Amino acid sequence: MKPILKRKMPLVAFAVVVALATSIMVSCAESQKVKAKTGAQLWAENCQRCHNTPSPASFSHDQWTTIGMHMQTRAQLTDEERDKIVAFLRQF
Amino acid sequence: MSNNQLTVFVVITVFFGLTIKPALAQQSGVDSALLQRIDALEQQMADQKPGESHLMIVGVATFGFNANKTTVIPQGGPGQSAKTVTLGDADRYEFSPMLLWRHGTKWLMEFEPSFDGNNLGVNWANISYFAAPGLIVRAGYFVLPFGIYNKRLAAGWIDKVAPDPVGIDLPGSDFGMGISGGLPLGSMKWSYDISLTNGLQLQPDGELQGAGIVDNNLNKTVSGRLSLLPFSNSCLEIGVSALYGGVASGLPYNNANATMYGADLNFVKTLSPILVNIKGQFSRLLVNGQPYVKPTDSSAYTFDNRSSSSFIQCSFRPTAGQHAFVKNLELAFRYVDFETPANSFWGQNYHEEDLGLDYWFSWRTVLKFTYAWSRSTNTSDNTSGLKGVVTNMNNIYLQFSLQL
Repeated sequence: MKPILKRKMPLVAFAVVVALATSIMVSCAESQKVKAKTGAQLWAENCQRCHNTPSPASFSHDQWTTIGMHMQTRAQLTDEERDKIVAFLRQF
Repeated sequence: MSNNQLTVFVVITVFFGLTIKPALAQQSGVDSALLQRIDALEQQMADQKPGESHLMIVGVATFGFNANKTTVIPQGGPGQSAKTVTLGDADRYEFSPMLLWRHGTKWLMEFEPSFDGNNLGVNWANISYFAAPGLIVRAGYFVLPFGIYNKRLAAGWIDKVAPDPVGIDLPGSDFGMGISGGLPLGSMKWSYDISLTNGLQLQPDGELQGAGIVDNNLNKTVSGRLSLLPFSNSCLEIGVSALYGGVASGLPYNNANATMYGADLNFVKTLSPILVNIKGQFSRLLVNGQPYVKPTDSSAYTFDNRSSSSFIQCSFRPTAGQHAFVKNLELAFRYVDFETPANSFWGQNYHEEDLGLDYWFSWRTVLKFTYAWSRSTNTSDNTSGLKGVVTNMNNIYLQFSLQL
């Protein structure tokens, strides 16, 4: 393999994976069972994957939106999970 | 109407006119203030644009106490012991405020400086763009997507035992860009996290160190993690990670590159009345650059440059117990295995066991008591004079960690 091609391998691999990820992501759908889950359920199930479930009183409504985004970057929550969990935490 | 009736009517009208007018004026004043306030709120709402900035500061503080006994046993000789007692929890001390700056619901900046007792550093400083459902684009300095420990479990208020697992720090944080997301898959869920960064850097003796903002070669490094959560309640997560990229330039390392691969698992479920938490990670690192340079006399030497690190931990918390004190206790155990290349100058076989008892004051405040014992056998190059030396360590930690 030519050196320049070899050097570009990580870039090519990155592009292929990005394309693959994009195509898979548009074809995915959630089941009715998952769709019917409440924010409270998702809060209980997902937060404790890494740490204890947080108290809704710990942050303000606005802060929960920010933390929801931060947690999505950490734990790769789906958008629906993030929105439902944040909506649940903002109720209090 | 008679004159008397007319007089009574006028008197009543004047009387009510005099009493009602101030009341109406007062009511009108209240209405006016209320209307003004509503107008101001409406204006405030109208001024609130989708891109409004929101800054918040959270952070972690971890400190404590560490008593250590280290016994070094040379080959064929008697062992020698030394003891230390340290406040500040030795190198586990951590004070890390984290700034989260959200701009609307599309942009998020994350910045975490950290003081670890010896150095003031930065754990991450990156910006993320929430481009579409299941697609977050980020750039800057961030924790590489490899395994679960560094990105999710390393914070003192999350970790179940006081010390970090030895050898799990690579590949750490790096400069670059990446994409990530979580997506539904029927009743399951999967996630991806991929990055393109400067990559690790090879040292002359064959060791790797973390990347800098200026790369030491023209090749970039790809790393990524794919995970599957096969159950709808997200109780189990299985992940695989990989990394590949150039680590050096110039003779004799023109073609030097590093390959890492690994697997991790995370199981959290309440098996009433106990919350069971099992986490583990395995990673292997291969570097193909040869030959290396001895740090003692600068002569060339070679060895099979392969390292591996792994840990498995389990913890148990009686969350459904009757007594509040008992519900806040958590028992944790961790086994760590770390092997660096035999016949290198830093070769060792390291094993560690940790037994911990934690008390949770709140969901983010914990006091940890951990007893850790480790055994390390030196497997370095014969000329190092240390081959076969065994180092046993016993550590007691009392650590307090808080997230605010």
